[in-house]
Amino acid sequence: MLHVAPWFWFAVITLISWGIVGLLQKLSTNYISAESSLIWLVVGFLLLEPLFYPGKAVLHYSGWNLMWALLSGVLNALGAWALFAAMKSGGKASIICPLTALYPLVVVLLVPFILHESITLLQAAGVLCALIAVVLLSTEPAAESPP
Amino acid sequence: MVLLETLKERWFWYSVLCVLCWGGWALLSKLGSREIPPETMQFLFTVGALPVGLALLISRRFKLEKSRKGISYAVVNGILSGVGGLTLFAAYHTNGNTSLITVATSLYPMITVVLAVLILRERLTATQLLGLAFAGAAIVLFSL
Repeated sequence: MLHVAPWFWFAVITLISWGIVGLLQKLSTNYISAESSLIWLVVGFLLLEPLFYPGKAVLHYSGWNLMWALLSGVLNALGAWALFAAMKSGGKASIICPLTALYPLVVVLLVPFILHESITLLQAAGVLCALIAVVLLSTEPAAESPP
Repeated sequence: MVLLETLKERWFWYSVLCVLCWGGWALLSKLGSREIPPETMQFLFTVGALPVGLALLISRRFKLEKSRKGISYAVVNGILSGVGGLTLFAAYHTNGNTSLITVATSLYPMITVVLAVLILRERLTATQLLGLAFAGAAIVLFSL
């Protein structure tokens, strides 16, 4: 029998779960508004919250890092709302999902200014590919009128 | 031109807004996780997402659509996002090849595209398929 490393199966579950998430985002906005989709998404997050409960350890981290972590949640939720709104306003899941997955582009472009790290050659190639991808993916034929 | 037409579409600008917000999310996660372990980051992240959900709830005067399907899809959405996060941490904990795990899991939009084509019957043009290949390349390059 071929031995497959345990990390492989965990990575496959992540890949498939997140892949299905893209589909569910579109399906939920087929029935409810972008705002409601976000609210119920947060409910889904909350259901898993006990699994991540850190206990009192959380009090030992620096105030700044705690604030970054909390703000990251605010921005993620705002981004998720924008994504639901994109799907609600007629965007296809197969375009919006890959398009919005290009968000590391923003990180690569901001990091030199914020963390004073320089962009590697690979990241520069990534920026170029991402920009080409945005242009090509956005060549969406005008939406057909609903039947 | 098709591209100029897209610039008039709301879905395009909402997607841009999403990219900007998620860029900020990724950057702040990077800053926070210099000290805080991933599971705790996930916990705090949800605490941070809560006020956004509450603000939207208030903006809608606590009136939500009663579509069982819509609600189920959105809740499962949140659960699966978390499950994906948990198994990702588990993958890292097994001391597997970190960059390989990061690259493989960040290609999740490709699964979405396959599902959207199979289940939602969405169709992509040849140009968009090429765009998808560039998006895949960009995602791999960013996660290396």
